[in-house]
Amino acid sequence: MDGIYSPGAASRSLAWATAFYLVLPILIVVPVALTDQRYLSLPQDGISFRHFATVLSSPEWLGSIWQSFTIAVAATILSVTAGTLCAIGCWRISRRTTELVRVLMLLPLIIPSIVYAIGLYRYFGPLGLLDRFLGVVIAHGVTGIPYVVITVSTALAAFDPRLEQAARGMGASLSQTLRWVILPRIAPGIFSGAIFAFIHSWDELVMVLFIASRDVFTLPRRIWDGINENLDPAMAAVAVLLILFTLLLLLADRALRRRNEG
Amino acid sequence: MSAAAGHALGLRGLTKRYGDFIAVNDVSLEIEQGEFVTLLGPSGSGKTTILMAIAGFVAPSEGAVLLDGRDITPLPPEKRNFGMVFQGYALFPHMTVAENVAFPLRVRGMSRADRDAKVRAALDLVQLAQFSGRLPKQLSGGQQQRVALARALVFDPSLLLLDEPLSALDKKLRAELQEELKALHRRVGRTFINVTHDQEEALSMSDRIAILNHGRLVQAGAPGELYERPRTRFVADFLGKSNFLEGTVRQPAPGGFMLEVGASRLAVAHGPGTAPSPGTRSLLSLRPEKISLLAEGEAAENQVEGRILSWAYLGAGFALRIATADLGELRAVLPSWKSPVAPAEDLPVRLGWSADAAVPVEEDAA
Repeated sequence: MDGIYSPGAASRSLAWATAFYLVLPILIVVPVALTDQRYLSLPQDGISFRHFATVLSSPEWLGSIWQSFTIAVAATILSVTAGTLCAIGCWRISRRTTELVRVLMLLPLIIPSIVYAIGLYRYFGPLGLLDRFLGVVIAHGVTGIPYVVITVSTALAAFDPRLEQAARGMGASLSQTLRWVILPRIAPGIFSGAIFAFIHSWDELVMVLFIASRDVFTLPRRIWDGINENLDPAMAAVAVLLILFTLLLLLADRALRRRNEG
Repeated sequence: MSAAAGHALGLRGLTKRYGDFIAVNDVSLEIEQGEFVTLLGPSGSGKTTILMAIAGFVAPSEGAVLLDGRDITPLPPEKRNFGMVFQGYALFPHMTVAENVAFPLRVRGMSRADRDAKVRAALDLVQLAQFSGRLPKQLSGGQQQRVALARALVFDPSLLLLDEPLSALDKKLRAELQEELKALHRRVGRTFINVTHDQEEALSMSDRIAILNHGRLVQAGAPGELYERPRTRFVADFLGKSNFLEGTVRQPAPGGFMLEVGASRLAVAHGPGTAPSPGTRSLLSLRPEKISLLAEGEAAENQVEGRILSWAYLGAGFALRIATADLGELRAVLPSWKSPVAPAEDLPVRLGWSADAAVPVEEDAA
């Protein structure tokens, strides 16, 4: 990008300050996780990996990690299926009412999750979904739909509608067109949406606090409880593992996009 | 590919309205089996809407589409069994050339072995067999166009519909593919319906041209017939270029009359048909290439004096704009190798044309 207007010193330092401000709270967790002390603190005599060892050998932590993972996978499947079908439907029908549907689909993103959580709590009770795997999957799956609708709609906006016409003109039924033409073209968008829906479920705490108590004890829930009850640096170690895992997912998303653009 | 399986298509009073806007207005047209018909018109003339109605993507507001006399208007596109080449080709970018061509066979549930044989035959037909493993983006525009053709023909469609098939190509390639498309039409013997705004393409490829304007069918006929005997001013102007001369009819006689324009009298021989009544207004279309520059002492049935306003050298010919006293500004095109004078601005010249060069045309209904 030579020859393009380059930013001045002031805007450059402002940009760096902003980036630093965003990343700092995440970075502070790393030295805390490597502390040699038995309480939440910065390392004093040297760094130690023993808190990582604690986490990876504790059945509670491992159980919560596994539970969070299975919930996130199931919720992602729900979000991706519903979100993709909704985005394709809105795109195909494409009337003023479908714009309304699209906005409606974004509601979980707009409404504070605590409001959502209270509502869920009210009607999950009678349905027997409180503190159930299925209940949390439904809650996370539904609130993950907006991410999929957004990414799939973006992918569809770039989809040439003549490809669909061409497929229909050659005798393809709607489901054949969907399977062989539309889905392969928007797969990167679906995959991005899936990653975001997964991350959304993976680190969701507010709703879990309301609709789960004992049987369902996700990873964010365990971190939350740990902070409230004791100041074990194992939480910082978990946080680091979480950050690494999320980073990995985002890098996968980036790599996939780049491959599709290239 | 089985030969001579052409089908006839009929349009009966086809009309398409979008709110108050009438895109297609009461168009009726019969297309014979095996015919190559071009729907020609400027943008917004309704030609693409008609093609989409034939393909089934647009539901007509009134009228019917008939295939071999059977009404197919309510059939969805996937039930019509028509091949179509889209503008920009609409090849599936994530499939190879062979997979693209195999697509219509795959949706019909054909076995892989039968499919492979048909795909090979179709790619051979357009001379692209060696490219079967490539992706569309690895092909040139002309090759992509041929893949689209192979894909549209591989499943033995009843008709082949072409939506501006050559518009994305550069001029030289377009001329080449016009010839190829015409040869392909002869080889497969199917009914081709082509849409274009390019009059040259329409003239060179079609058995018959249907000219559309503002959603109406203005005139349909063989290319030569339309060019030589345009029915209206629009047809004369859109298909090639034309000078228009308006005047009063004098001395009508069988097969001809005199047209009075200012102080000039022009001899008009319009061939068979009734002559217009004397005293009425008449409009003539006169093609620029039918006007010649007269050398010293040379005579013609119609002669007029003028002055060259501007000229352009076009290689094969000169294009001249000539100012005349009674007829206004005339355009003439002369072969450059036998021009009697070297053109120059303000040069006085004598123009001449024969009585049968000019054709009476109607004004178009607004």
